[in-house]
Amino acid sequence: MIEINNLVKRYGNTRAVNGISFTVNDGEVLGFLGPNGAGKSTTMNIITGYLSSTSGSVLVDGHDILEDPVAAKKNIGYLPELPPLYFDMTVREYLNFVCDLKKVPSSERKAQINKILSMVHITDYADRLIGNLSKGYKQRVGMAQAMVGDPKILILDEPTVGLDPTQIQEIRKLIRALAQNHTIIFSSHILSEVQEVCDRVVIINNGKVAAVQPISDLSKKLSGYTRLLLSFSGPIKDVSNALRSIPGITSVTERVSNVDIHEVEISIDSSTDVRSSIFYTMVRGNWPILELRSLDPTLEELFLSITSGKQGGK
Amino acid sequence: MLAIFKREFSMYFKTASGYIAFAIFAFLSGYIFVSQYASGKVNIASEITNLRSFFVVLIPIVTMGLFSEDKKRGTEVLYYTTPTNIASVVIGKFLSAMALFGIMFINVLVQMFITVCSGGVIDAGTMGAIVVYFFLTALFVALGLFASAVTDSQIIAAIFSFLIILLIQLTSTISALISSTFNSFLSAKVFNIDPEKLSEFCSNVEKFINWFDPLSKTKDFRYGVFSISPLFYCACIAGLFLFLTYQVLEKKRWTQS
Repeated sequence: MIEINNLVKRYGNTRAVNGISFTVNDGEVLGFLGPNGAGKSTTMNIITGYLSSTSGSVLVDGHDILEDPVAAKKNIGYLPELPPLYFDMTVREYLNFVCDLKKVPSSERKAQINKILSMVHITDYADRLIGNLSKGYKQRVGMAQAMVGDPKILILDEPTVGLDPTQIQEIRKLIRALAQNHTIIFSSHILSEVQEVCDRVVIINNGKVAAVQPISDLSKKLSGYTRLLLSFSGPIKDVSNALRSIPGITSVTERVSNVDIHEVEISIDSSTDVRSSIFYTMVRGNWPILELRSLDPTLEELFLSITSGKQGGK
Repeated sequence: MLAIFKREFSMYFKTASGYIAFAIFAFLSGYIFVSQYASGKVNIASEITNLRSFFVVLIPIVTMGLFSEDKKRGTEVLYYTTPTNIASVVIGKFLSAMALFGIMFINVLVQMFITVCSGGVIDAGTMGAIVVYFFLTALFVALGLFASAVTDSQIIAAIFSFLIILLIQLTSTISALISSTFNSFLSAKVFNIDPEKLSEFCSNVEKFINWFDPLSKTKDFRYGVFSISPLFYCACIAGLFLFLTYQVLEKKRWTQS
């Protein structure tokens, strides 16, 4: 559905995107993962035709975005990081305007707008000024705008940034619903979000593709990267020494301490489950465990694991 | 194009800018007309010509936000990522501003009606002034549109178009000033220039600068003297600025981050 070949975007001497290539299959939800400044938004802007690449090509449903922009753009709905909203229009006026821009036939317009409004749950807000809506609702209007014209491909640039947890869940739910009949590229710098929503993930860093892999492979990689957080009451030195002596534990780092409650971060070898050993060690020392949980790896750690391991690359 | 036109035109009346421009125009034209009417010498052509001097304020008010506001709010993404041609966006915005000036002109039409009802005459000079008014409006609106496309600040766009329109309106004064400066400087004995040749040279300099002045070119219309070339000149300059606006917007794809 989308073919990206050796995309380069240069600003002066800086290469924001440096030779990115990947394909997006029909009906797939592709996660586009990378830290801030990795080149995610620039790549998405090039795919949608907002920016031109210095070199390389983007084919959308067989149409080159630069040579045949109108045909290519008909297939794309784009929600940029900052939703392109006119605050002085009502939601319905705005969606009508976007229908005009996307050349939606007037006979289909009303039904399409009503359907989209109900899908993103903003029917009750259709006649309110966009400027008066909360951030979460503005984001939904942005989603609605991308859906106008029923494009086959939706490109969503960090659609959950700045939303509260309930709104984030709602947007994710909506993306999952849309995934049933759309191809979606979805960027994020939150690992768990990508795991929850996507089929496959492209990880980019410093303008280059660090890895392209199915989400199941990513989950395996993540499960091999484990840390535990232990909160306890007892002498920190004795506990740390006792923990270090457990086979499978590679390091113990103190995180927070006050008078008699301490918190340590335990890095463990992925091949062993040390939780029961930790429990018995603490019981033997008569040091009550207040909390024991696994810590999610950060994006930086994932990058380290991908770029340092031999499994990285396409 | 129609979508952009409808949106921009309706926005003039959803925000204050359309009302402010309309109010300024209505006040000024009303003031001039009432003064003429009271003195018993109504001359609509002269009124329209006088009103043109206020373009220096009206054009920036109407055009300053046309593109700069889109850039600031990030809504320009819509123009680039939907199957819309950038040229039609430029034309749509241009026509919306022209339509606003058209609406403002209703004030003058009402005054013309009053004049006719009171036994006055609408002559060829008046028709000439109206034609020139719209051609000059097109030129200045295109210029304001260009100013709005090169910056994301409405204030800078307004100052930019204000200065250029002021410069154009003062062209004949400036050319006379340059010519007399040349004359007084080169007439010093050191240069030993024949005074006749010098005066011819200075007059040519003045003519050369004035050649570019759309106001001097069109000044005979208000006396009922019509010709195509000044109108063609105004249309060409307007077209040039619309083309430059289009180029600025297209270039952004390559340069912005």
